[in-house]
Amino acid sequence: MASISNEPEREHRDEEETGANEDEDTGAQVAPIVRLEEVAVTTGEEDEDTILDLKSKLYRFDKDGSQWKERGAGTVKFLKHRVSGKIRLVMRQSKTLKICANHLVRSGMSVQEHAGNDKSCVWHARDFSDGELKDELFCIRFASVENCKAFMQKFKEVAESEEEKEESKDASDTAGLLEKLTVEEKKTEEKPAAKAEEKEKSEAVEEKKTEESVPST
Amino acid sequence: MALPNQQTVDYPSFKLVIVGDGGTGKTTFVKRHLTGEFEKKYEPTIGVEVHPLDFFTNCGKIRFYCWDTAGQEKFGGLRDGYYIHGQCAIIMFDVTARLTYKNVPTWHRDLCRVCENIPIVLCGNKVDVKNRQVKAKQVTFHRKKNLQYYEISAKSNYNFEKPFLYLARKLAGDPNLHFVESPALAPPEVQIDMAAQQQHEAELAAAASQPLPDDDDDTFE
Repeated sequence: MASISNEPEREHRDEEETGANEDEDTGAQVAPIVRLEEVAVTTGEEDEDTILDLKSKLYRFDKDGSQWKERGAGTVKFLKHRVSGKIRLVMRQSKTLKICANHLVRSGMSVQEHAGNDKSCVWHARDFSDGELKDELFCIRFASVENCKAFMQKFKEVAESEEEKEESKDASDTAGLLEKLTVEEKKTEEKPAAKAEEKEKSEAVEEKKTEESVPST
Repeated sequence: MALPNQQTVDYPSFKLVIVGDGGTGKTTFVKRHLTGEFEKKYEPTIGVEVHPLDFFTNCGKIRFYCWDTAGQEKFGGLRDGYYIHGQCAIIMFDVTARLTYKNVPTWHRDLCRVCENIPIVLCGNKVDVKNRQVKAKQVTFHRKKNLQYYEISAKSNYNFEKPFLYLARKLAGDPNLHFVESPALAPPEVQIDMAAQQQHEAELAAAASQPLPDDDDDTFE
C-alpha cells in the first residue's frame, strides 16, 4: 500500500550533535515493582480483510471551539468482515497503536470535500473508539491528492453498496412476507382463484423490486 | 496510584509524576496522548492535574496516572505532596530555552528527596524547532544522575511514545515489553434518525469550511 511517511527522525536528528545512540539505556538499575506475564493479543480485526489502508492524519471537530483538533496520525483502514460482509473504518495511532476511529460505513453516509484542501475530506459518523457510540465529525488529511481521492472513492463505493444491500434486503423481506400471506391463503381456501391471486402478488413483488433498485437521488 | 475519588482498575497502574519548568510542554505532551490534540495556547497548570493514561502491551493493559504538575513556582502549590508515592517520573525541559535545562538539577533533587530509586526519564521537548538553544551533545545531566534521556516533540510526535515505553519496561523489569494493537471492538448497528442525520449534515457543511490547525505541515507518519 502507498506509504507516504516522511521520516521525522531524519529531520530532527542533528548528525553532528548527537553522539549517543538513541536507544542506549543510561538509566539507573531499579528493581521492577510488578511482574507481568505475556498475554495473547487480540486486535479485534482477526475476522476481517483489509480493503484499503493509507497513512493519514485524523481530526475531530470540536463544536464548542468551532475548530478541528488532531485526533491521531497513523494508518486508516477499511475492513470487511468475512462472514457478515460489514465494512468498517478503523484508524490507529502509530507507535502506541491506540484506536482513533472505529465505525461502520453504512448507507446514507457521505464523505465530502474539505474546503480549500484537496488532500483532506470530511464526514460524520457514530464512532465507537472509546467503546461507546459518539457522534463525531471527522476530517482526514493525506500526504497526496491521489490518496485522498482513493479514500473518498472507496468510502463512497462502500456506502453505495450498503445501500444496495439494504434495498435488496427490503425487497426480499417484502417478498417473503407476501409469500407467507399467500401460503396462508392457500391453506384456508383451496380454490383455483387463489392461484391467480398468488400470481398477481408475485408480479407486484417484481414491480416493487424494479422500483427500488433505481438509485435514489 | 489513583486519587481517592478516581476509579481504580483491575490491571496494573502506576503513579507517574511529571515535572519541569513552566511552558516546557508537560500538559501539551499529556493532552497529546489523551486525545491526540496538540494545544498551542499556553495556559499554566495550577497545582496538579491527574490524568489516567492507558496503554496496551504484549503483557496486558497498563495505566499511568499522570500527575501533571505546575511548572511555575507561583502556581506550584503542594509540591512535595504531589511527589509522594510516585512510582516513576518524567522531567521535562525545552531545548529552545536554556534556562529550563539549567533548572533540571533542581527538579531532580526535589523529586528524589521524596521518591527514591524510581525510574526517571529526562525529556528535551520541542526538538522540531529550528533554533535550538540546547544541543543534543550539551545534554549531559542524565549521564551523571543515571536517567534515561529522550529528545521529543509533542508537536510532531517525534519519540512521543518512548518515555512511556521506557518506564513500562523498567517497572515491569521486562526489556522486551512493547505496545500492541488495542482491540478494535465491533461497533454496534444503530438506526439512523433522519432528523438527526440532517442536523449532522448541516454541521458537517459548516465544519468543512474551517481550516485544519496544521495545514502547512505535510510531514507525518
